[in-house]
Amino acid sequence: MSPGEAPSAAMLTVFSERRSDLLITAREERAEGVVSLTLADPSGAQLPAWTPGAHIDLLLDDVVRQYSLCGVPGDQHHWRIAVLLDPDGRGGSRLVHETLQAGAQVAVRGPRNHFPLHTVPRYIFLAGGIGITPILPMVATATEAGADWQLHYGGRSQASMAFTDELAPYGERVSLWPQDSKGLLPLDEILGNPAEGTLVYCCGPEGLLAAAEQRCASWPAGALHLERFAAKPQAEPAAGAGEEGPFEVVCQRSGLTVTVPPGRSILEALEEQGVSVLSSCQEGVCGTCETRVIEGIPDHRDSLLSEEEREENEYMMVCVSRAKSERLVLDL
Amino acid sequence: MTDAADGTGARNYPLNCWYVVATSDEVGRALLARQLLGRRLLLFRTEAGQAAVLDDQCPHRAAPLSMGTLEGDDVVCGYHGFTYAPDGRCVRVPSQRHVPYGAQVHSYPVTERGPFIWLWPGNPALSRGTEPPDLPQLREPGWAVLGGSLEMAVSYLLLHDNALDRTHFPYVHPHRIHRGYVQDPPPLQIEVTETTVSYRRTFTPAPLIGWQHDATGLAADGEYTQRETGTFVSPALHVDEMDIIGPDQVYRGVFIRAYTPVDAARTSIIWRAARNYAQHDESVTERLREVYLGTMTEDQPLLEAIQARTGGAVGYQVSAAADAAAIRAYQIIEAMLAEEGGRAFTRWHGTRRD
Repeated sequence: MSPGEAPSAAMLTVFSERRSDLLITAREERAEGVVSLTLADPSGAQLPAWTPGAHIDLLLDDVVRQYSLCGVPGDQHHWRIAVLLDPDGRGGSRLVHETLQAGAQVAVRGPRNHFPLHTVPRYIFLAGGIGITPILPMVATATEAGADWQLHYGGRSQASMAFTDELAPYGERVSLWPQDSKGLLPLDEILGNPAEGTLVYCCGPEGLLAAAEQRCASWPAGALHLERFAAKPQAEPAAGAGEEGPFEVVCQRSGLTVTVPPGRSILEALEEQGVSVLSSCQEGVCGTCETRVIEGIPDHRDSLLSEEEREENEYMMVCVSRAKSERLVLDL
Repeated sequence: MTDAADGTGARNYPLNCWYVVATSDEVGRALLARQLLGRRLLLFRTEAGQAAVLDDQCPHRAAPLSMGTLEGDDVVCGYHGFTYAPDGRCVRVPSQRHVPYGAQVHSYPVTERGPFIWLWPGNPALSRGTEPPDLPQLREPGWAVLGGSLEMAVSYLLLHDNALDRTHFPYVHPHRIHRGYVQDPPPLQIEVTETTVSYRRTFTPAPLIGWQHDATGLAADGEYTQRETGTFVSPALHVDEMDIIGPDQVYRGVFIRAYTPVDAARTSIIWRAARNYAQHDESVTERLREVYLGTMTEDQPLLEAIQARTGGAVGYQVSAAADAAAIRAYQIIEAMLAEEGGRAFTRWHGTRRD
C-alpha cells in the first residue's frame, strides 16, 4: 500500500448507545408492586462506570422503558433497577413484572445520565414513590463526599415505599411521608427558605415535580434539578398558531439539508436521509438527542430544558421540538 | 482552575479518576520519585508488600522525601529526620517529644491490579467503592503479554483523539494496515455510555498484511475476516482489540494504553499488548513489539507538532463525521472537569456547553 493512498469510498459513521445482553442475577420484592432486578454481564465482565442519576433502557420486545440505576455507585459488576407495576400504564412495567425472572437475560441500552449530581456542600432530596430510585445512589455519594443532606420521601403508604430498609441507617437525615398517615410532603416548609450552596434534587410523579418547581421559583436559577418519568404536559398552542408548517433543517457537519414536513419529527426526517442521531425516548424526556443549534429559533417541546435554556436557544431535543424560524442550522 | 505545580496553564484532566502511575515491578523497597498528574509523587512498598504513594515533599522544609530513607514501613526525611507512616501521618520528629500539629503528608488511594499500580489523585472519599478498570487479559492465563512505557510531549487529550481515530492509518501508518482500511471501509459503529465510547467495525475478508502473517502464521495467500474495536474506558485508559478470524481460532491482539498526564501538555504512556496465540514464541513477541511501538512513534512527531501549535486546545476549526467518537470522549472529560470545577449552578444535561 503506498503512503497516503486515499480510501476508495467514504466511511460511514453510525452513532449509537451501547447495547448489551445482561443476566438477571437477582429479583426481589421491595414494596407493594415494586421489584428490583440486579443485572450483570453473563461472563462476569466489568460493566461501564456510571454516576448517580444515570438510567438505562430496558429493551423489551417492542417497548423501551427507562429505569434509574439504584445500586451502589462504583459497583461495576452489578447494576440494579427497581420497577413499579403500573396496571394502567403502557405495559412496560407489567412486562417486567411478568416476564423478567432471575436467570433470564434482558437487553439493555446505556447507561446515560441527564440528572447528574453536582458537587455542593448541601442537598435537599425529594422523592415521590418509585422516584426514590435515582435518589438512592445520590444519598450514598453525598454521604461519602461528606455533604450535608436531607431526604424527604413521600409515598401512598408505608407498604408502598421501597428501600426504606436501606435508608434506615441514615437516621434522621431521612424523613418518610406515607400519605395515608402523614399526608403530602410539606414542601412549603422544606423549600420555604432558599439556601446558598444548596441544590434540590427531585424525582417523582408530575404533581410533586410541578409543586417543587413552583416552590423553587424564589431559589437561585438552576438550584432545582428534576427528573421526569413521563413527558411534561404541554400547553395547547394558541389559536391560530396551531398549524404546524414545514421547515428546513441544515446539518452543518454533514452538509445535508432536510425538509421536515408537518407530522414528522426532525429526528425522523434526518433518519430517512441517513443522518444518524442518538435518540431514545422520542418524547422529549430522556435528553439523548440533545443537539446544538447553530442558527434559527427552535420551538421547544421537550420536558428537560429550563426556561433560561429555552430562551438561549443553544440546544434542542430533536425528537419532539420543532422550529419557529423557517430554517434551523444544527451541529450534526 | 490552574495546575500550580506544573506551570503549563489550566489542568485539562479530571482528578476524580484512577490513573496508572507505575507498573508493579517498578515499585519496591526503594523510594521512587515520579512527576505525574501535576504533582511530585513518592512511591514505595511496605514490608508487607503494600504499594503506597505520598506527596514527595516534607511539609517541614519542603525537602524531597525521595532523598530520604525507608525504615520499616516509614519514610524518614533526609534533612531533619521527620518520619512519616505510609498513610502520611508524621509519627516522629527526632528533635522534640511531640509531633507538631498539622505534620502530615498527603497520601493517595492506591490499587494494585495485575501489572499496574493505579492512583486516585482527587478527593479520596469519592474513590471509596470505585474500582480501576479491569483488564482480564493481563491477569488470566492463555495470554502472552509484552509492553513498555514512553513519554510524549503531547496532551493526553490528543492521544485519546488519536487512539479513537481510524482514518489517520492510511496516511500515518500505510505499511501497517490491511487492504480493508482503504478499499470500501465498512461503517464505523460508535457506541457510547455515560462514561465510555467505543468504535467497532468488521472488514470483509482480505489478505493479511506482512506483520499479521508473520505473527499468526496464517497463510499469506488466504483471505480473512477481521474485526476491530477500541474503547475509551476512562480519561486514563484506551483499550483496543484486533481480531483475525482464522480457520482454527480467533487471533486476538489486545492493545492497552494507560495515559497518565505528566501535566497538561505531556503524557506518560504505559502500554501492554496481549495476544491469545503464539504465546511462547519470542520472535512473535519481538515482531509485535516493533509494530506497536512503531505505530506509536510514527504518531509521535505529528502529535507533538500539533501540540506545539495548539497548546493541546481541542477547539478545532473543523471536525468530520469520523471524529464523532473523539468528540464524545471530550464531552465525557469536560463533564468530569466541569463537576470538579464546581459549576453546579449551571444547569445542563450531561452534554458539553461550550
